[in-house]
Amino acid sequence: MGGGRLAGLLAWLEDAVLVLLLSLMVVLAGGQILLRNGLDAGLVWADPLLRVLVLWVGLVGAMAAARADRHITVDVLSRLLSPRARRYTRALTDVCTAAVCAVLAWHAARLVVTEYQGGAIAFADVPAWVCELILPLGFGVMGLRYLALGIGRLRGAPPP
Amino acid sequence: MTVAAVALVLLALLGMPLFAAIGAAALLGFHAAEVDLSVAAIEFYRLAEMPTLLAIPLFTFAGYLLSESGAPVRLVALTRALLGWLPGGLALVALAACAFFTAFTGASGVTIVALGALLYPALRHAGYGERFSLGLVTTSGSLGLLFAPSLPLILYGIVAQQLGVGRPFTLDELFLAGLLPGALMVLLLSGFSMWANRGLPLSAFSRAEARAALWAARWELPLPVVVLGGIYGGLVAVSEAAAVTVIYVFFVEVLVHREIPLRELPRVMREAMLLVGGVLVILGVSLASTNYLIDAQVPARLFEAVRSYVDSPLAFLLLLNVFLLLLGMMLDIFAALVIVVPLLLPIAVGYGVDPVHLGIVFLANMQLGYFTPPVGMNLFIASLRFRKDVAELVRAAVPFFLVLLFAVLVITYWPGLSLMLGRP
Repeated sequence: MGGGRLAGLLAWLEDAVLVLLLSLMVVLAGGQILLRNGLDAGLVWADPLLRVLVLWVGLVGAMAAARADRHITVDVLSRLLSPRARRYTRALTDVCTAAVCAVLAWHAARLVVTEYQGGAIAFADVPAWVCELILPLGFGVMGLRYLALGIGRLRGAPPP
Repeated sequence: MTVAAVALVLLALLGMPLFAAIGAAALLGFHAAEVDLSVAAIEFYRLAEMPTLLAIPLFTFAGYLLSESGAPVRLVALTRALLGWLPGGLALVALAACAFFTAFTGASGVTIVALGALLYPALRHAGYGERFSLGLVTTSGSLGLLFAPSLPLILYGIVAQQLGVGRPFTLDELFLAGLLPGALMVLLLSGFSMWANRGLPLSAFSRAEARAALWAARWELPLPVVVLGGIYGGLVAVSEAAAVTVIYVFFVEVLVHREIPLRELPRVMREAMLLVGGVLVILGVSLASTNYLIDAQVPARLFEAVRSYVDSPLAFLLLLNVFLLLLGMMLDIFAALVIVVPLLLPIAVGYGVDPVHLGIVFLANMQLGYFTPPVGMNLFIASLRFRKDVAELVRAAVPFFLVLLFAVLVITYWPGLSLMLGRP
């Protein structure tokens, strides 16, 4: 099925981006300390870029967590349910999660469009909408993942 | 509105990810208040406006690197050589090693899985009772939450700072405040372990073994200095210390010891960022929900309601202990921090509780809640890890629970213990 290949590609891409963002973060944060303490200088754009990187790493990490179904839950009731009942309740919570993600993604996309039209600048020459792009993307992908998880559970697929 | 709230709580208890439950609550709140829902996205974006947040991915990555390397083994060998000759020595080893390890990894499940596997067989082999050993390993899983740079400690600081309620404080101050209460917990548990195992034969202190263990751990030994020295010395900010730590740990474990092959590195990074992502989305959506709650003046009304029943600060603290213990049994520590602190801090400040002290009390209670019978989370993790019945672990954990309960009470009613180091 083509969907499986696409999901595999997306997973690979996600991992690659995660590794890249985190590496960049470490190098940039380390370099900034060296510059500041060694040369009494520092890159003006490094600090805001690092802050945006935290947001990006957080959301890409959250996408990966959705893929592995490893988001933080409370989950005290479903321990008491039978495996069969649990399948249905988890399918329900997954679909609801997908719906929440969809609403968040939609309103985040509206924000990005507004910022694009407004032409605000985040830092250096980077427009704000580019930094915000990860919001609709992240919640959109998470929404799709939870939808797929929920449907898979109803069909009796093994959990990831 | 009430129906929706009940439905959300039910969904969360059935296993809906917390970020979705909190996000839905924020969206519903904004919708009812007729606020444009893109406010939720704007609030979430504030994650990119908090400089100290950088410390979270960096320290977490450093912690995961440490746990994947041979550092836990060297740590246990070192503490064993230094403390093993004391009565109950190996128990002290477990306590010290777990506290150190949890401070770096922050999440307590990791400690039980990574160190418990090492310590439990060693304890049994050395003649410690099964029940004592199980209880000790389960308890130690959350020890060290109060020591910098533990993730929950940083998260409390960030959440409290962005609320802007009560006396402003810095993360360094919070780090200092955790030292004595954390040490009290370790000391009391050590005393109990020595007393409980006073009948065991002692082993001799070996100078050669100590020297060998010190030499083996020579690269990890400077770590506390790398992390804390710069911060307390005022040389670097917390996020910078995190960067130095991660670079140092990478250098030691990947390049010097070569215990993590380069091709394994992406997997370790991904594992660490999975946790970071899980914590940050919860923080992000809770920024939105907190914004709604403050707009709706919920904390102020909550304070009024509580004050009509509870008039003395002492009674408030007692109530706080009970409430936090229950909370810690049910809720993950990160979720508890971002959901409850925004509601709790204004109330506590109203009763004259210092925000730094509240943070330490909060985390100390959460730590206890982790293994509070019958549903503390560590009991289940340990039950899975050691293949024991949960009921058996509950029985094993009770004496340790009582010891730490005493520590938590001391920490709660003696603010000075938390605050004396931070005073200028």
